[in-house]
Amino acid sequence: MTRKWLIDNQGLFFMAPAMILFVVFVLYPILYIFNASMYDWDGINQAIYVGVQNYIEMFTDDRSFALSIRNSIYWTFLTIFPQMFLGFILAYILTSGVPLQNAFRVIFFMPAIISPVVLGIIWQRIYAPFGGLLADLAWETGARFLMQPYLSDPKIAIFSTIFVNVWQWTGFSMLMYVAGLQGLPGEVLSAAQVDGAGALQRIRYIVVPMLRHVHLTLILLGVIGTLQTFALVYMLTKGGPNHATEMLPTYIFLKAFPLQSMGYASAVAVVLLVIALGASIFQVSVLGSRFTIGN
Amino acid sequence: MYRRITLAVLLLLILALTAPVLAQDEVVVRFRSWSPVIATTEAMIEAFNAENPDITIEPDITNYPEYLVDLQTMAAGGSLPDLIGLEPGALTQQYRDHLMPLQDCAVATWGEDWEDQFFPVGIEQARLGNPEGDDNIYGLPVLVQTINMWYTVPIFEEAGVEPPTTYDELKELADMFNAQGIAPVMIGAGDGWIRRDVYMQLIHNIAPGLIYEAEDGMASFADEPFVEAMTWWKRLFDDGIFQMGALGMTHYPAAVEQIQGGRAAMFPMGAWWQQQAANPNPPPLDQNLAGYAPFKFPDVTGMGAPEDLLGGIDVMLGVTRDSANPDAACKVITDWISGAGAQALINTYNDLPAYIGLRPASFGSENQEAVWDLFTEEWLASVQYARQLKSPDVKQALEDALAGVAAGEMTPAEGMQLVQDANM
Repeated sequence: MTRKWLIDNQGLFFMAPAMILFVVFVLYPILYIFNASMYDWDGINQAIYVGVQNYIEMFTDDRSFALSIRNSIYWTFLTIFPQMFLGFILAYILTSGVPLQNAFRVIFFMPAIISPVVLGIIWQRIYAPFGGLLADLAWETGARFLMQPYLSDPKIAIFSTIFVNVWQWTGFSMLMYVAGLQGLPGEVLSAAQVDGAGALQRIRYIVVPMLRHVHLTLILLGVIGTLQTFALVYMLTKGGPNHATEMLPTYIFLKAFPLQSMGYASAVAVVLLVIALGASIFQVSVLGSRFTIGN
Repeated sequence: MYRRITLAVLLLLILALTAPVLAQDEVVVRFRSWSPVIATTEAMIEAFNAENPDITIEPDITNYPEYLVDLQTMAAGGSLPDLIGLEPGALTQQYRDHLMPLQDCAVATWGEDWEDQFFPVGIEQARLGNPEGDDNIYGLPVLVQTINMWYTVPIFEEAGVEPPTTYDELKELADMFNAQGIAPVMIGAGDGWIRRDVYMQLIHNIAPGLIYEAEDGMASFADEPFVEAMTWWKRLFDDGIFQMGALGMTHYPAAVEQIQGGRAAMFPMGAWWQQQAANPNPPPLDQNLAGYAPFKFPDVTGMGAPEDLLGGIDVMLGVTRDSANPDAACKVITDWISGAGAQALINTYNDLPAYIGLRPASFGSENQEAVWDLFTEEWLASVQYARQLKSPDVKQALEDALAGVAAGEMTPAEGMQLVQDANM
């Protein structure tokens, strides 16, 4: 190794710390999981090589996996966009000078800082058709429509779970939009008002387009949140009934530990990784560029 | 000054050299489990240390899901603790290669006839899932249990009724309690284990022992008795025997809170329900177990309820092959099963002792003592069959099928076919 070589390649030394961390904490686990996905393995004892059998079973004969994918799609569209829509409305109202607006901002943001574990326990008691808050309210007032099997009916359980997530994170979207709205140049809005634009037109043609960086950030965080959803679902339903609310992370946990199928769980984790990569590439290359350039 | 520094350095050197020697005198046993709870574990350690001050026990108690993750991580890293909590069947079998056979430890402590000193169900289940020809005991049972039904005494007394023994009686009570806004049978059927517990009692009512034959491939889960049991399971929901929305509720803590609040007439549980009396600040029904009494699962099918109950091991303990102090670990286990530590454990009514003859030091009420005697002297001795299944896949398929059938997503026959498919 000559002095010249060292000088020519000094950039490598600056990159080395980051590269080492990347290899140890990102690349190695990915390769390890990918390798494990090729085995029938309980995580402890001798593994048996099965090739792509785990993947074949997953895509051809695994109803729970299919439900996890379906639920992830539901979750993506039914949490991100309603949260953004409601968050924007709240933010718009709470930046328009209403009394006690700071207090309301705090109140609406509060669910976002509560642990999903705690929220899961609380909402299970709210939803419980026997002895739950809504059920007792229904019993006392005669409003029996409130007494529903929110978490026990497989047809509606995922939507009940999604509702809790929207309730929790709308305040976060609101806060992001409040920051975005406060950063908008006042002269542009004033000019539009002078030009005769009504309140709805100002929102439609000026405010919403100028907040595109907030939209993009919320979508990005929403997709990440969807792919990581675990605690809320685990506490509310444990993925049930009959996997009706299963998400990919809860399914990976179920397979890896209680069912002792680490190899299969690794295969599901690889699929989750591929979905995450695909979503990231899509956001950066398609969604991201449109937002940057604007239409 | 120079002399002082020299002296200080010499002192430090002496300390550094002697510390490992001193440390070697201390025997440490690391213990990791999900059960007993930490307060009880600490009481057991204190009782053990009163007689064995030379052994230090380092406990780490976490909840069950977290425990499974930790155990697997430690096994992969070759750093399993000395003592680990185990369930019979799948969990013990998964770690079998990492566990020491414990029969020598048992013989050394209790003699050659040591197995006779335990309730039979504990010994049988300790070997559950062992490969053919492997009679080793990889975990010694600490606590055992039955599964059964309980009723809330004040509710029954006020209604002037007795626990049901047939389905007709059960239905009649359910109609009455539903009209009063009381859950006839409170179940948190969102938890798979309680679904399975009830189904196990239904199939036990119809064909005792058949489910274990099906597990071993000598019968099919799609056979008529299993489908019939599944049909009865569905009826318990459709006929309003279980409270509304049972499938969306956890047994612990959601259903238990309703039970403690006096809003449930009956509920499926097990012998471990006695521990309610030992909780800090117990609600009125829990105090000295005044508000509850156990009864056998009714003869819902009308085929005649079997005299025996289902049961099994609550928790057993194993010594890992990585243990640096297997003799000390053996000493701890055996003390917690039949010694001072065991007495401290039993005093909390945590569950029933696997070792025959232990009794809590005191009872808070006659009812509590009567319940204890019923479990230990009559019911536990009659247990022939396990509440556990060997295969985690079959267990999960059965729990899924029970949820699917209860939710109306599949017929009882389709549900049992799924279980059979998982057993292939």
